[in-house]
Amino acid sequence: MSLAELPLHAFERPASLSDACATLSRRAGKGEETVLVAGGTDWVVSQRLAPLSLGGELPLVLDVSRIPELLGVKIAGERAAIGAAATYFEIRHHSALSRRVPMLTAMARDVGALQIQARGTLGGNLATASPAADGSAVLMALDADVVVASVHGERRIPIGQWFTGYRRTARAADEIIARIEFTLPKTGAHQLWRKVGTRAAQSISKVALAAVGEYERGRCVRVGLGMGSVGPVTAALPTVRALAVSPGPLAVPDDQLDAAVRRDISPIDDVRSTAAYRAHVASALVRGFFRTLRPVSSAG
Amino acid sequence: MNVRFVLNGKPAAPDAPPAARLLDVLRGALGLTGTKEGCGEGECGSCTVLLDGAPVNACLVLFGQVEGRAVTTVEGLGDPAHLSPLQEAFVKEGGVQCGICTPGFLVSAEALLAAIPQPGETDIREALAGNLCRCTGYQRIVEAVRAAAKERTSREPG
Amino acid sequence: MALIGRSVPRPDGPAKVTGRARYVDDVTRHGTLVGATLRSTVARGRLRGIVKDPSFDWTGLTVVTAENVPANVVALIEEDQPVLAADDVRHAGEPLALVAGEDALKVQRALQHLRADIEPLPPVLTVADALSRSAQIYGADNVFRTVHIAKGDAAAAIAACPVQLSGTYTTPHQEHIYLEPQGVLAFWDEEGGAHVLSSCQCPYYIHKGIKRTFGLTDERVDVTQAVTGGGFGGKEEYPTILALHALLLAKASGQPVKMIYDRKEDIEATTKRHPSSVSITSGCDRDGTLRAVSIRIVFDGGAYVTLSPVVLSRGALHAAGAYRWEHVAIEAQAVATNTPPNGAFRGFGAPQTIWAMERHMDRIARTLRLDPLLLREKNLLRVGDTTPTGQFLKESVGVARCVEEAKKASRWEQKRTSPAPAASGMFRLPPPGAVAARKARGIGASVYLHGAGFTGSGELAHRARIAVDLLADPKTGRPCFRVRGGSTDIGQGTETVFRQIAAEALWVSMDRVEFATPSTAAVPDSGPTVASRTVMIVGGVLEAAARSLFARIEGDRQQKGGSFEDAARRLLAARGTVTVEREYEPPPGLAWDDATYRGDAYPVYGWGCAIAEVEVDLDTFETSVLGLWSAHDVGKAIHPTNCKGQIEGGLLQAIGWALQENLVMREGRVVNARLTDYVIPTILDAPRFTTLLVEDPFSRGPGGGAKGLGEIPMDGGAPAVAAAVEHATGIVCDDLPLLPETLFALSKEIRR
Repeated sequence: MSLAELPLHAFERPASLSDACATLSRRAGKGEETVLVAGGTDWVVSQRLAPLSLGGELPLVLDVSRIPELLGVKIAGERAAIGAAATYFEIRHHSALSRRVPMLTAMARDVGALQIQARGTLGGNLATASPAADGSAVLMALDADVVVASVHGERRIPIGQWFTGYRRTARAADEIIARIEFTLPKTGAHQLWRKVGTRAAQSISKVALAAVGEYERGRCVRVGLGMGSVGPVTAALPTVRALAVSPGPLAVPDDQLDAAVRRDISPIDDVRSTAAYRAHVASALVRGFFRTLRPVSSAG
Repeated sequence: MNVRFVLNGKPAAPDAPPAARLLDVLRGALGLTGTKEGCGEGECGSCTVLLDGAPVNACLVLFGQVEGRAVTTVEGLGDPAHLSPLQEAFVKEGGVQCGICTPGFLVSAEALLAAIPQPGETDIREALAGNLCRCTGYQRIVEAVRAAAKERTSREPG
Repeated sequence: MALIGRSVPRPDGPAKVTGRARYVDDVTRHGTLVGATLRSTVARGRLRGIVKDPSFDWTGLTVVTAENVPANVVALIEEDQPVLAADDVRHAGEPLALVAGEDALKVQRALQHLRADIEPLPPVLTVADALSRSAQIYGADNVFRTVHIAKGDAAAAIAACPVQLSGTYTTPHQEHIYLEPQGVLAFWDEEGGAHVLSSCQCPYYIHKGIKRTFGLTDERVDVTQAVTGGGFGGKEEYPTILALHALLLAKASGQPVKMIYDRKEDIEATTKRHPSSVSITSGCDRDGTLRAVSIRIVFDGGAYVTLSPVVLSRGALHAAGAYRWEHVAIEAQAVATNTPPNGAFRGFGAPQTIWAMERHMDRIARTLRLDPLLLREKNLLRVGDTTPTGQFLKESVGVARCVEEAKKASRWEQKRTSPAPAASGMFRLPPPGAVAARKARGIGASVYLHGAGFTGSGELAHRARIAVDLLADPKTGRPCFRVRGGSTDIGQGTETVFRQIAAEALWVSMDRVEFATPSTAAVPDSGPTVASRTVMIVGGVLEAAARSLFARIEGDRQQKGGSFEDAARRLLAARGTVTVEREYEPPPGLAWDDATYRGDAYPVYGWGCAIAEVEVDLDTFETSVLGLWSAHDVGKAIHPTNCKGQIEGGLLQAIGWALQENLVMREGRVVNARLTDYVIPTILDAPRFTTLLVEDPFSRGPGGGAKGLGEIPMDGGAPAVAAAVEHATGIVCDDLPLLPETLFALSKEIRR
């Protein structure tokens, strides 16, 4: 187990985002690997699973868990910004977020258990890019932007372009995720978070759905969707989204909806579940959500 | 440069690599073997300690990350001569069988009672969802936490 | 001041709740090396050799292979399993070589630089394969053991019955997931004596294995049990192998060696519950009176014999369940496959066969449209009945009361009829257009038994011994007492209950009685801590020993006057420590024939009824167990809280086995050897337990009638849950586990 090598890694705790960027840039330029660790809930586990290195240079570990610019939740008007190193615990207990984005709160409650929530971060899970990450599904439904920083400044990457493949992202080696930004769902939006996992807590999802439906003058104008564990990357469900806007959530026959779901996902058999089950549950969750979307009467 | 932090209320600065797991530093350099390793991947909660009052899995915390922070382990909760109400309740209510998961549960339960002095059953179960037990079936643990909560409140003045 | 029947605080509790209890990995010894194991990645092959990479720096490292093992056998029922593979590899994970060194990283690197030269052979991975004899991997026919039990003429009797039903029921592996992984610390002393500190259930098993492998006499081997973080059978026989490995490294290196498995290695390499397939054909009357049953049992034993013959035996002896059958035919086989050897796990074969019988009883109930518990109640064994082996049940059959109490507590009758149950065999579809999560509730039950103590002549053969000492407290000089036996506390409360039994018999308070750490150098062999025998059998011997010691002190008091304390002091002054050691005496009239499998299989049986209420999500097929009511006849509850803790823990393990635990193997290797992927119940998965204790005392049980309890809670939880799922959804599932994926697939079949 390469946990035996863990203590040999060099470790630094940059005091600011610009310090962290400078270190990253310097090392990336020389082809030296750097690992950015916040809660360690992905990376430290992966060290346990990975075989020993073949004896070359070990990566530098940069502890980003307390870099001030990466912390906190800020809400300005209808825009929210969550620091990449804000923990699920913080997110879960943020009252404004709970009011406006209950699916985010519900997701944070479902991540692992309290011990993991105290340490896990959206930034860390976005960087690992597992399609099973609960947070990624919610951010997909929110059509969030991932803001990365480097010595060259900031870059904004829409979540739909963040995941470039299984556990691969658009982040360059010298970039660090700084925060996640999104527009708050309109007041009165319907939101859903449903995770179907291996047990009631401490579970990786078999299928997870984050969904939000927004209305304007009685019409569904936007449905945001994010689904986990149904393909190599978090699924945005574009075909399903389109159906929600036209012909509208209650006008889509079940079989057409199922077909759209099947089109948008590519689940597999693995140690946790089967493709057939995942496809079935994906459809059931989407259908279940659509049935909650009722037009608001034009009388308000 | 040694990592300096507060351990069970006292300053500590053991000589240990910052990239080592907090769990290994506690059990090794610091000789506090009360915190246990059950899985090494943050699933079982046997390694639960408090970091600035919040329960975390010590197997996932890198030692350097506790610089300037406060860590509480089971050894900081009481000693055989002076068991805390929570520790007593675990012993009396059947919350302990083989005991390997017990330190983790006690730490999580302490954090719960600090946040919610009179927790309901749902509060208790949610707070302990990250601690696995294979011996008890959990019910006696729930009873123990409830009993401790009652005892603590009855001890408080006014 | 009666101690029996009181839930006294656990004396080992304070150390455990303060983190001061010392499990094996908490113990350090100067100069201890870290040990690790090179294991096979292939399931079957010829081992040509182990090659050390010459370019690696081997200084400071010790390497041990088969040729360094004096007698390369693990002494158990047979001696077919090597300590380290020599010429053949018979399962993935089989230990091939051992490495020790000061530095854990260097030891891990060394493993990377050891190459096992294995010529792979086509593995026999399934029981069907093994029985078809595609390859000979054990003996002539790949069968470790066969057991036949016969009463009357089952085939003819079934043929004459108006209702004949057949079914096949299967169960998978189960991994113990004791929260403390396996571990050992071993060293040799200057006189060539072996010392082992082990996380284990049976120090004397390890003692025997060390003597055999190293050719040592009794007093040269000292095995001490460390505080042990759970066992459930997984630390019954396996720790012997681990101890032998550590001692080999210690001998070769000249230093103490500690080996602690990480969770992945533990799951991959250690023993599991035997997977099973059980086929039942029954004959009964239309009113549900059972007449005859024929049962065929096949257990997958894995690559070596280990304990398969005894697991098979117990499985076969429980296969007919808690019911009265006039005619019984049971044929059971334990079969070899190229998978990691399976071994002891709480229940020891009975959960597998009781799963089958209980599901079969539900089949009968379904066919005859009878309430499943009424069907069972009609046929329950009573005092005066005979079992399939011809055992006449003389006493202590509390099963009818268990059923009655569980039914009442759970409100079985109301919940069985309202809401209207799903029609079995027709999947209850969620109502169309419903908006809220669509769920269905159901309730199901099981009734079961568990023989306490070793099967047949086991206890007689073993003659468990235990000692009680009167000694002077080293600090105060005051007379105090000490229990010395090989029975271990692995969480189930041996220390507490033994001190209660002894203190009660000695008429002293519990704090006057110590429990000696089980160490073979200091305690007699009480037999292994298994088979639901610790309280009933060993506790019984303890009670007799303590009473005898009491009588001796009391006799002196009556002769010479003064108080009990005075008499004790006098005895201590006269002879120093006074020891009474006693040996097990079987009850008179017990008879068992190993050759014909007829007679008294167990001195007495425990009985239970479990009722589960579930809620199934009709879209995702996730099952929540809302409540679990149980009533168990334990004879006499010496420590009620302890009893309930054992029952609830065992029931939850059964629920995990039923709903969530799924060991996945490919090519004979475990692929989900992590707690993330082999999931056991969390506190949010656990139901509310209502745990009733019924007491129908056993005349030979200590404390006024205690019977075995440790395993029985494992026997009935799973079928109760499956029956409840059937009640809720209409889905009949005869194979464990009831994963959502499985229920989903079944729902599609029956919808069609």
